[in-house]
Amino acid sequence: MLKLMHKTALVGAMILTAGAALAEYPERPIEVIVGYSAGGGTDVMARTAAPFIERYLGEDASIVVKNMPGASGQIGVTEVANADPDGYTLGTFNLPGMMARTIDREADYDRDSFTYLANVVNDPNVIVTSTGSGLDTLDKLIAEATENPFAVTVGMSSLGGDDHFALIKLQNATETEFTIVPFKGSAPARTALLGGHVAMGILNISEVAEFQDQLNVLGVATQERSPFAPDLPTFQEQGLDLVNGSMRGFVAPAGLPEDIQAKLMDAFSQLSSDQEFLDAMAATANPVEVVTGEEFKQLTSDLYDLAEGVWETTPWN
Amino acid sequence: MYADLLNALPNVFAWTNFAAVIIGVIAGIVVGAMPGLSATMAISVLVPFTFGLEPLVALGLMAGIYNGAMYGGAIPAVLLRIPGTPAAVATTFDGYPMAQKGEGGFALQVAVVSSALGGIASAFALMLLAPPLSRVTLLFGPSEVFWVAVFGLASIIFLLGGNPIKGLISACFGVFVSVIGSDPIYGNDRFTFGQLEMLDGINIVILLVGLYALPPVIDLLETPLKTDGVNSSKLGTESIWKALPRMKGFGMTWLRGSFIGIWIGILPGAGGSMAAFMSYNEARRTSKTPETWGEGEPEGVAAAEVANNADTASALIPALTLGIPGTAVAAVMLGGLLVHGLQPGPMLFRDNPDIVFGFMWQFLFGAILLVLLGGSLATNSFARLLNLPRPLLGSVIIVLMLIGVYSIHGRMFDVYLMLGFGAIGWVMDRLKFPLPPVVLGLILGGFAEENLRLALRIGRGDPMVLFQNTTSLILVALTIAVIVGPTLKKRFVDGRKKA
Amino acid sequence: MPQSRKSRLTRPETLTAFGIVVVSAGFLIPTFELRAISALLPAAMLIGLIVLSVLLLVYDQRKAANGEESQPMTQSPRRVIGAFLLIVTYALATDFIGFYVSTVTTIPLVAWLFGYRSPVGLAIATVIVVGIIWAIFDFGMSQEFPAGRFWGH
Repeated sequence: MLKLMHKTALVGAMILTAGAALAEYPERPIEVIVGYSAGGGTDVMARTAAPFIERYLGEDASIVVKNMPGASGQIGVTEVANADPDGYTLGTFNLPGMMARTIDREADYDRDSFTYLANVVNDPNVIVTSTGSGLDTLDKLIAEATENPFAVTVGMSSLGGDDHFALIKLQNATETEFTIVPFKGSAPARTALLGGHVAMGILNISEVAEFQDQLNVLGVATQERSPFAPDLPTFQEQGLDLVNGSMRGFVAPAGLPEDIQAKLMDAFSQLSSDQEFLDAMAATANPVEVVTGEEFKQLTSDLYDLAEGVWETTPWN
Repeated sequence: MYADLLNALPNVFAWTNFAAVIIGVIAGIVVGAMPGLSATMAISVLVPFTFGLEPLVALGLMAGIYNGAMYGGAIPAVLLRIPGTPAAVATTFDGYPMAQKGEGGFALQVAVVSSALGGIASAFALMLLAPPLSRVTLLFGPSEVFWVAVFGLASIIFLLGGNPIKGLISACFGVFVSVIGSDPIYGNDRFTFGQLEMLDGINIVILLVGLYALPPVIDLLETPLKTDGVNSSKLGTESIWKALPRMKGFGMTWLRGSFIGIWIGILPGAGGSMAAFMSYNEARRTSKTPETWGEGEPEGVAAAEVANNADTASALIPALTLGIPGTAVAAVMLGGLLVHGLQPGPMLFRDNPDIVFGFMWQFLFGAILLVLLGGSLATNSFARLLNLPRPLLGSVIIVLMLIGVYSIHGRMFDVYLMLGFGAIGWVMDRLKFPLPPVVLGLILGGFAEENLRLALRIGRGDPMVLFQNTTSLILVALTIAVIVGPTLKKRFVDGRKKA
Repeated sequence: MPQSRKSRLTRPETLTAFGIVVVSAGFLIPTFELRAISALLPAAMLIGLIVLSVLLLVYDQRKAANGEESQPMTQSPRRVIGAFLLIVTYALATDFIGFYVSTVTTIPLVAWLFGYRSPVGLAIATVIVVGIIWAIFDFGMSQEFPAGRFWGH
């Protein structure tokens, strides 16, 4: 019954404003395509953010999350790139993964295929070592890697991801070489670290927060200390210029009408000051850092250039 | 810790939370019993829906479904020789012959009692031993896990069937299917022919439904209105009180199966089917009458079913403590935990004791409820369903197969893939190529390769890394024993006969 | 009496073994583009399949030479092919014209064609199955089934 009334009201509103339909956006549910299975980090971010976006878009807004898992997010993001730019299909966007896939695979999209709305999560990389390795400070780690190239084994998730780029940055900054052991995902890499099967690991801060007692966390790859774990030092404090992380945000297909884009951007930008949203994200281990519009686009572009540079010198497949 | 366990108990009995477990078990049995639908699919469909539920309601549903489906899978395995879940493949070995002999009812009773016992043992392992067992998981690095996979693959030799050439062809086919997708280390695609849908590899459910469900459907349609199928009047069900004494010799099998199931569960990646195969092999190996196995030996059903339920809760031990799920279903459940902000790790038990320990209790009650809810009423009603006119049953199974495969990822591509495997499965079935080696090959082949290559990277190319510690060496010895043991034993026996 | 040469070569096992050899050899081609370590396991399996199939072929031909009749794969090939084609058509129909339309048509059609012809039974079964699927998946779990590419969804 309620649903029916709702529909009647909507139809009424549509008739009244038939001439200025766009001003009434959104007039039907907005679909957010998530390129991963329900229950993954990106999915949880989308589902946590959805009610807040609905609230900021206005009374009638409704968001439906649709999972299209497969090919590490590529199936979903391709779907978004090819959707109608009418504001009713949005998608989640992961960096640097989505850009790296345009380099190491055939992809039916590129960095110009999207309208960049907002990046919401920035999960910085951390370097950790196993307690048995004896490498409990950054200096010791770098000294060991300098003395014995390739002697330090590094567990991390797959090649061409944020962990891998962080390691490349580390290698370039310190002129060292490590042996990469790419696990399928961060949890197995972390388990191998806990068991002492690899000496060092590159993970994300959200993935080690719960395991701080059992691992040495050497530093965080951010400019300033992460509010997510303020007791952990950054690399810059230790004299190493290493900033890198995994990012998750929202995009729409390229060519979104300007008024719709403005409305969506406005809704997303209000997230960063919503304490309730910040708390919800903290509870699901998602460190928030909202970056909207042009800035987000620039960020993506920079990451693409980084990935391309790495690919040209050391292709990973 | 044990105080937390008791503190969590009252909350579990809140009526919504308890009702969730009951509904979950019933739904799980139904899903498991429907050829084509699987626990993985049911829970992945459920996860987004649980976003708006209270944590213990959501988790209770999942715990119930998991337990229910692991037993439910036995129902079509016994009655139609279609395993309802991957873990029920071993149940078909003796369950289906029993049904053909008119003992289907007893087979299902053995299955339900064994499933419940396995589930209870596993739930206790999860409740009481999670922290120490997770330390055992840590002992298994890539080289040790590689040997576990090899050990599992070695048991293929028991599954070869009458013609070893055909059995080996099946095994090679299964292992080959497991390498389709992106390379485990470099990520470049192998045999995907540019299809993004194949990059993540071929989901076991797609293969299982194609290989195991399509050929029987074709059979149902091939010989219409023939009434030699199993029907409920021939199930030969007697009261559970009469059936129980017939199971009194299964104690050792139950104990061993529970142990194997719990053990396989805490090792990431292998899962219920390997547990069931291994338990079955072990029980047959130690049986006094191994020749009756495969021809309707109730103990075979007990061995398979106790093990595939014994790995349900224990698969959550590495999932909860380390974030690495022990089975495909546990992987989907981990998603369900994350949705409720339950981050795996040592802090989980400290931060959310009510929910985590409540969830463990729900597993225990789910296992116990199996006996009540999966008893004769449930099995008889399913038997009646499966006794529909054959063409009608066939067409309904076709629809269920499509739904079950489509819903895993929400794409038709998987359905076409399943039909392709179905065509292959039909030819294999008719030419008597054994199917279990395909399933085991798919589950363990890629898993072995990935860990071998990780181990070799850790050892920087030196194969000696595979033999560097005691755990690896023990596993190597066990593998050799499995392969060589039966031949030696046969020689010994033959030699004595001659003498 | 020895079989004729043609029937010797069309024995199901011989044909299957031959098919496996051809398909495996075909799959071997892309392995050359892979890194050695990536190609190792798949190539080993494909070569294994080829060797084993050749063995199977040899044994089967030997049986043929000894005059052993091969079992036909089915007594009613038309029914089997018909059933398989119907299932494929159902999947295609789901994809292109939508799940519910295809399912409502397929359940009674398949059952009717293969010999179950009671109109009441067909109607009841169709309504119950489709109704339960709708209630659980669509209504209860808001699962979307294909609506049909043909209609532009």
